[in-house]
Amino acid sequence: MAHILVIDDEFQIRQLVTRMLETDGHMVTTASNGAEGLRLFQQERPDLIITDLIMPELEGLEVINRIKKNNDNVPILAMSGGGHHCRRDVILHVSELFGAKAVLPKPFTRSELMQAIVVALS
Amino acid sequence: MPGLHVTTEQRYSTLLQQVIFAPNLNAREEFLAEAFELGRGALSQDAIPPDELVAIHHNAILCFSQKNPDMKLCDVVDLLTLPLIEMSMAYGMSFREQLEKQYRALLDKRLQESHRLEAVGTLAAGIAHEFNNLLCSIIGFSELAFEGLSDEEPAKESIQQVLVASLRARDLVSTMLQLARKNSGLPSEEIDLISEINSVIKLVDVREKKLEINFSSGVPNAFITAKPGQIQQIILNLCINAADAMEHCGTIDINIESTTSDECLTGVGESAICITISDQGTGIPPEVQEQIFNPFFTTKEPGKGTGLGLSVVHRMVEDLGGRILVESRTTGGNNGTDFRIILPFVDKDKRGTSCQKKCSLYKAHNHGG
Repeated sequence: MAHILVIDDEFQIRQLVTRMLETDGHMVTTASNGAEGLRLFQQERPDLIITDLIMPELEGLEVINRIKKNNDNVPILAMSGGGHHCRRDVILHVSELFGAKAVLPKPFTRSELMQAIVVALS
Repeated sequence: MPGLHVTTEQRYSTLLQQVIFAPNLNAREEFLAEAFELGRGALSQDAIPPDELVAIHHNAILCFSQKNPDMKLCDVVDLLTLPLIEMSMAYGMSFREQLEKQYRALLDKRLQESHRLEAVGTLAAGIAHEFNNLLCSIIGFSELAFEGLSDEEPAKESIQQVLVASLRARDLVSTMLQLARKNSGLPSEEIDLISEINSVIKLVDVREKKLEINFSSGVPNAFITAKPGQIQQIILNLCINAADAMEHCGTIDINIESTTSDECLTGVGESAICITISDQGTGIPPEVQEQIFNPFFTTKEPGKGTGLGLSVVHRMVEDLGGRILVESRTTGGNNGTDFRIILPFVDKDKRGTSCQKKCSLYKAHNHGG
């Protein structure tokens, strides 16, 4: 089972993903923004990062960018529901270009999350 | 309006007589002008059709010449034809004005529709992020609660209903976003219609147990240019509507064939492929047919339809450079509806070059970004 860092500014989404992952036997750490996520990544070195893309302060694309610039090969699963000025499919595609190994459009079902994790960890 | 008709005829005849017997040139001009005004007024109010007015005019001349056999008929005709010519010209102009007005109204309607779509798009993009996050929680927590309950728990079925509804809400948000945007962001590619239709049939088969789908193709292969998923969505939407129209029991016929009919090819190109989806449902009355492609128009019960399915289909077909035609029968025992989608056909011989060109363009574009 893996240690997974979940970064999302929505409390409910963090809680939901945590419960889904813990039910599946994974260990979960959560962060409510990109900056906190990067700090926890350095401290805990998780096996997988699941990050939202549109967040206040430091957004998910920047998180992916900084991690990949440091040549960290931790797999990243990017999730997004789109935003006012940003289309969901476009930002998810861009996150792949930045180095996300798998993408997950919101809203998702439990099985869709699990499938995306399998892809990210493969 | 026979009363008005007779009065106008009599008045017009009298005026024409007054023209002939006018004491001077000025009076004659006045009577001519009055006759012209009377005729023009009758025409513009649609009180008398133009051909009847011509008949009235001729009758007046005949009547006048019979009463006055000493006058030369050609002199009378020459004198009296003037108001008729002017009336015809005025009628022509007003007819043109009416046409222009109708054309402008049609344009306004299209503009209003596109504004409405734009508003839907702005609204959809604005709420999509928040809505998707909310739906994510609703779907996810419902699933967790569902899995945590034993089958005997009565709440389990209720939670399943929440799940079904929230998954429908997810589809709705996605449909609204699709409606709002013209391009899906993905590049167009060559799509094999036959395999796309077969994959949709499998999907519908899973959903609709009492429904039979007959698929036949008059061509060995059918390639068109589209974005991935576009064809599937068009066919799926039309199949769902067909199933609803037949109350989920009956046969849907899907047929594809190449077409050379002028009616089909208008605005599409030299060669086209026609996909026909037919049902034996209740049919669509003519007054409803005009509205079926309008966004939010639905005849389904509240909560059963969003009214977006056919407008999405219409928009997608237009994006693909094609046309959609509807033929429906509501009476006569042969009830049902045929939707015909005409799409530009990818010519097999020219395929290599056009595809190569597209691929190199796409590569160049990607290198730039």
